[in-house]
Amino acid sequence: MKIGRAFNQVAAVAKTDFLGVFRNKTAIFFTLLFPLFFIVIVGFTFGNTGTGDLSRIVVGVVNLDGGLVAVNATDSGNSTIGDLFVQAMESANFTVNGYEEYGDREENGTAAYAISRGDIDAIIVIPANFTETLAFQYTDNSGMPIPTRAHLELYIDPTYPTSSQITQQSILGFTSGFVKEYQQVAVEQTPPNMQEFIRVIADPIIVTIGETKGTRELPWINYMVPGTLGLVLIWSGLNHASMTIATERTKGTFQRMVIAPVSPMVVLLGKLISAMSIVYMSAFIMLLSGVLLFQVNLYWNIPVIILAIFLGALSAIGIGLIISSITKNEEAANSIAVIISVPLQFFIGAFFPLNIMPEAAQVFGNALPFTKLVNAMQEIMTRNLPFDAVIPEMLYLTASGLILFTLGTIAYRITLKRL
Amino acid sequence: MDSVTKRFEDLVAVDDLSISVAKGELLGLLGPNGAGKSTLTKMISGMINPTLGTIKVGNFSVQDESIKVKEILGVVPQDIVLYDYLNAKENLAFYGRLYGLSGRKLSNRIDDLLRFTQLDEKAVKRHVSTYSGGMKRRVNIAAALLHEPKVLLLDEPTAGLDPQNKHALWEIIQSLNREGKTIVLTTHIMEEAEELCSRVAIMDHGKIIALGSPSELIKKVKMENTITVVPDIVSSRLIEQIKGISSVRKVYTAPSENEENESIKVITDCPDEILPDVVSTIVNNGTKVLSVQLSRVTLEDVFIMLTGRSLRE
Repeated sequence: MKIGRAFNQVAAVAKTDFLGVFRNKTAIFFTLLFPLFFIVIVGFTFGNTGTGDLSRIVVGVVNLDGGLVAVNATDSGNSTIGDLFVQAMESANFTVNGYEEYGDREENGTAAYAISRGDIDAIIVIPANFTETLAFQYTDNSGMPIPTRAHLELYIDPTYPTSSQITQQSILGFTSGFVKEYQQVAVEQTPPNMQEFIRVIADPIIVTIGETKGTRELPWINYMVPGTLGLVLIWSGLNHASMTIATERTKGTFQRMVIAPVSPMVVLLGKLISAMSIVYMSAFIMLLSGVLLFQVNLYWNIPVIILAIFLGALSAIGIGLIISSITKNEEAANSIAVIISVPLQFFIGAFFPLNIMPEAAQVFGNALPFTKLVNAMQEIMTRNLPFDAVIPEMLYLTASGLILFTLGTIAYRITLKRL
Repeated sequence: MDSVTKRFEDLVAVDDLSISVAKGELLGLLGPNGAGKSTLTKMISGMINPTLGTIKVGNFSVQDESIKVKEILGVVPQDIVLYDYLNAKENLAFYGRLYGLSGRKLSNRIDDLLRFTQLDEKAVKRHVSTYSGGMKRRVNIAAALLHEPKVLLLDEPTAGLDPQNKHALWEIIQSLNREGKTIVLTTHIMEEAEELCSRVAIMDHGKIIALGSPSELIKKVKMENTITVVPDIVSSRLIEQIKGISSVRKVYTAPSENEENESIKVITDCPDEILPDVVSTIVNNGTKVLSVQLSRVTLEDVFIMLTGRSLRE
């Protein structure tokens, strides 16, 4: 009878708390729509990075090949290989814009003007003697070709270090491929008994990039989606839990619950169930939108995902309860929750890997239970590792969840004495 | 309540207070803000514990048998303590479930109380945030009645209400008392205490400084209820006629405020009741009534006499 009554009370508290979110437009936005909004923004912004799509790189080409140059005391205007180079770039899917001259950043229509305004990511200047050099047209008096290297000039927009590195690596990679093709053709012009010898000299070491077993190349969004589960815990779990008791205390509904024949732990359990439901719903929306909108291709070890979210949510709700209990009213609770949760989300490895951050930030980030959740989810969902592989993270999540939720419960009980 | 004291660090909010309330009684706790009324209601409802002393509701100790006390006690807080985003029915269902009601019993009780709140069908389905102050107050009281409490604690139940809604709520409180509920009502509105309470405890600085029925307390004040009438002509015949009205204790004349006319002063215990008779007696004598002023002794005067301060200070 008593258990039935307590169950009825827990259900009443959980339902009322849950409706408080679903009938409040602001709460709906921050709890459910904001994660959706976030994944849409992230997906459309970064969804395809990491797939080798070169069309995002805009290269300005100043192709001077074909201009008249003196070769062996005669004017030559051959542009064959320069044109081939440009065509190959376009075939490789670079976005190529042609320019007459490198020019000056103040001079509209020139490559320098375009790169200074961020219209293009890089400039390649193909010299006037590009074809003549590569076609061995420079000869000595005896008619023997003079070994001469073609000299391409590459200028990268350095404004954004990460994207400039990607641009540089992509163009150098393409050039290397083009050179190999050229070598193949050039070697074939040499006597057959020399061809293999020349090939070895030109390419003494061959690096073979094999397919790594048990891994696969994924667009960045696939790493982001498991990472967003950490954000869900912060936004939905921590923020909701920090507001729930504080709001009820400010409005007096908490006091009215306390004067009813209800155990404070029943109220807490109802709140916990509501907060957990909101976290799971938010996580479900986040994952579902990743799948439907961006076709993320992840591994779904549902029991482990559910367990990890539960353990992570215990930590988030525990912190929320502490905030809720130590603050005087809902405004103060909201402010503290924002102050904590906004910076926190940058340290959990959801947006970018922790190992690119300063040492102290890494130590701090690695101590957060949300980081452990993100790590575990990335291991499970992107690498398809078994549960064994994430046991350390799960143990950490369990310990931190129990500690923080216990502290939250203690803070909650102290609140009862301050009514 | 026996020798109850509540201290908040250096502040003594309730000071060695003892009082008992009889079954079916409607006791008013009257006092200015800060007198200790809210602290007292918090202790009775079990929200906070007294520093010293014991409180019993029914035969149960608030400190030791809190669950049993909570089951027979209904508390109506001063503020509207309802969920804005729920409608009246959902609010009542929530509080009903907290008090252990479920199923048909709960739904029947909600139906009864929705009738009590006099909300129409459309209003019942609207969120509480759209209700008027009076509607919210009625639902606020209904939420405390779900478990059919024997004792009702009303903390400033009419705070912020307009006169019409205030009088409607007084009728509700009186009807609950007639049903047999023991009611403790805190208020700083003297008219409310006079109108509703069979006994009033006047509180100040955490102590009860006077206790008795409103009429008993008023009698303690050395002042009298006076009707001052200014007719255009005062005659000895008129004075004699007024003296003949029942409940009139004394009649005399005095200069009026403008000093152009004489005024008639009528001393009585029930000025509201005899005022029409006084006026009609003057008019029936063919005399015009230029002005009427009624000066009643109230609990406010009792409080001023006891403390030297007004209730509203």
